[in-house]
Amino acid sequence: MSKSDDMPRGAAERGPGAGSDSPGKMEAVPHDLTSRPRAGSGRRAFLGGVALGAAALGAARPARAADRTEISFASAKFFGKETVAQVVEMYNSSQGRVHVSYDELPPPSDSTAVHQLLVQQLARRNGSPDVFTQDVIWIAEFAGAGWALALDDEFGAEVRKDYFPGVGAACTWGGKLTALPWFIDSGMLYYRTDLLGAAKVPETWEELVKIAEAAQKSGGARFGFLWQGKQAEVLVCDLVSFITGNGGAILGPDGKTVLLDEEKTVAAVEFMRDTITGTKISPQDVLSWDEEPSRRPFTGGQAAFLRNWSYVYTIAQDPKVSSVVGKVGVAPLPHFAGGQSSACLGGYQYGVNASTKKREAALDFVHWMSSPATQLHFATELGLAPTRAAVFDEPALAKSQPFMQTLKPVFVGATPRPVTPKYAQVTLVLQSAVSRALAEGNVKQALSGAKERIATIVGS
Amino acid sequence: MSRVAAAGGAITRAPPAFAIIRTRRIDWPPLLLLLPTAISLGSVCVYPILGGLWLSLHNTMLATRENRFVGWLNYRTLAADPDFWSAWRHTLEFTAVSTLAETVIGLGMALLLVEWFHGRGLVRAAMLIPWAMPTVVTSKMFGWLFDGQNGLVNWMLRSLHLIGGNIDWYGSPNTALGTIVIADVWKTTPFMALLLLAGLQTIPGSLLEAARIDGAGAWQAFWRVRLPMLTPILLIAAMFRALDAFRIFDLVYVLTGGGPADSTEVLSTLTYKTLFSALEFGYGSALATAMFATEAAIALCFGILIAQSLRRQER
Repeated sequence: MSKSDDMPRGAAERGPGAGSDSPGKMEAVPHDLTSRPRAGSGRRAFLGGVALGAAALGAARPARAADRTEISFASAKFFGKETVAQVVEMYNSSQGRVHVSYDELPPPSDSTAVHQLLVQQLARRNGSPDVFTQDVIWIAEFAGAGWALALDDEFGAEVRKDYFPGVGAACTWGGKLTALPWFIDSGMLYYRTDLLGAAKVPETWEELVKIAEAAQKSGGARFGFLWQGKQAEVLVCDLVSFITGNGGAILGPDGKTVLLDEEKTVAAVEFMRDTITGTKISPQDVLSWDEEPSRRPFTGGQAAFLRNWSYVYTIAQDPKVSSVVGKVGVAPLPHFAGGQSSACLGGYQYGVNASTKKREAALDFVHWMSSPATQLHFATELGLAPTRAAVFDEPALAKSQPFMQTLKPVFVGATPRPVTPKYAQVTLVLQSAVSRALAEGNVKQALSGAKERIATIVGS
Repeated sequence: MSRVAAAGGAITRAPPAFAIIRTRRIDWPPLLLLLPTAISLGSVCVYPILGGLWLSLHNTMLATRENRFVGWLNYRTLAADPDFWSAWRHTLEFTAVSTLAETVIGLGMALLLVEWFHGRGLVRAAMLIPWAMPTVVTSKMFGWLFDGQNGLVNWMLRSLHLIGGNIDWYGSPNTALGTIVIADVWKTTPFMALLLLAGLQTIPGSLLEAARIDGAGAWQAFWRVRLPMLTPILLIAAMFRALDAFRIFDLVYVLTGGGPADSTEVLSTLTYKTLFSALEFGYGSALATAMFATEAAIALCFGILIAQSLRRQER
């Protein structure tokens, strides 16, 4: 484990009067029943933390409800072998100071509804829910509205570097850390090991095109490369990885400058169109495909390469639905000459309500939720990939999620979508313009038009 | 009509006490009896419409907590918004083409089903299956049928040598909206057929018989007797269909999400995106109001046509 273990300090050590509604009680209870490791620990302490956490399930003296600080936690619904509710219960029984009541929102597949419910609750500014989870693309919106508590005092730069750099960037708005990473997913390149032949896994798009064309010519695959061009959010995800892989960007670091008609950006989008109309490694169908339609031909053995999220791997290895079991490899997405591999960042992150009246308790909870031990638990029991790079080296993860462990190099290159409070409007313009550019071909013109419209949106 | 007359009769037969009061004051009891209807209609119809109108004059955005009265600003933005006008055009195109096709095909089906043949009852019932199916299921089904790679439609057209290679129906701006029209026609034609069948059955058999005795063939009987008699019902059915088609949402939402290149973006999906993805309640309400106004105009046009055809029939 890394230096993160020096941080965070326990709530009890923050001293009285730190803003909690019951500081006295907080101090009175020994803090470290949680699995959060303390100063100067190494892996031993971390594992000890896990053991302690497990022991706490049975051993903690259940404090009387009245003694505990009651906080609420709203999150989209995730489940694997366990549910989020069960993990929250783990926290509740691991200590006697804070009791978290869990409010389950719809699953992330219904993300419009999750977003709406969160906005409605947060806009009331009455402190409920105290802690929530959010899709990466909402972080700037919630922070810009003043709904998310800045967490810089709690999590200094030395903690942040334990997380993947892309997640850290996505959690920062206006120079402040306003969200804490929970789990990560990102776009990645799936390839067919049997079609690769003597070639190595492509690192640039040029190499990928060559291998894909060869596979199509030899009859090994009907399609060279599948991606998602449907006018939907996924198109922006694909767009980000192509653009960033060419050293371009959609928004400048200030969140106001629109770089959509820069040469590198235009070239990246032209490449996207070229896969369909020029090299023909992608069928025209990608223009109407989102994740699942593009996944089916690949697991059906018809394609050499596929861009998709991590969920595809499990399906590809299931002999009941896949004809490519044991022939699939995963790698970071290729980049253009002179660029760097980049993948669109997905996943959900924690946020603390800026109007919470139970700040100490809320912070204690997110500390625990984002701790290495809890992240490991989420990975092994719910299949949610850790945002802390170091957790990927845990033997327990290798044992229960061997595939997830191989994704560490993919997640290192994860890049957030444009970070702006107006993302919801920006993405609609991007979807429309890029879909137009891909379908009709006038890339430069479509992107220039979008640039102007986005500038009006983010500038105001 | 007869029911209304009966109700009126009931009121005049009210106890004499009322009759005395009525001469001097407002007649309260009937008004009180109307109150529940007025309240329920007012709260579920009038209030939301007025509320939407009022909201469309504000710059309400949930995320930024802006909520200022801005007058006609949203409508000025709307008038200059190319996305709105392209969605408006797509919606009108969709409405016109699908309503016309459904009316013509539905009329054909109704003419067939009004004749007697073995198993007619069964066919009449089976005909309604597409209409009874949830639209989301229809959408998925047509997604598969018109799939660009493995779709049945492509396979059939290829087998008949009508096309050289596969067509990507939903991936090309030229074919996407047309494909959605086909799905809608398949789904809603039975509904039209049912309405028109009911209309055909109200035409007295004696008229057709008289026409036949006068030497009219099937074609003439249709043009001279059935169609003129059917026109008011045809127009009413077409109006229902057009107003419903104008609100097209599920097929687009499931099949294309508005793409490619906005070619299938219709007013409902655009309004949905503005209201619920971007949470721009003010501008979204202006879009919804524009939709409402267009629907009202369509209803008005049909209303005039229906009134004219009824008048012609009375003459």
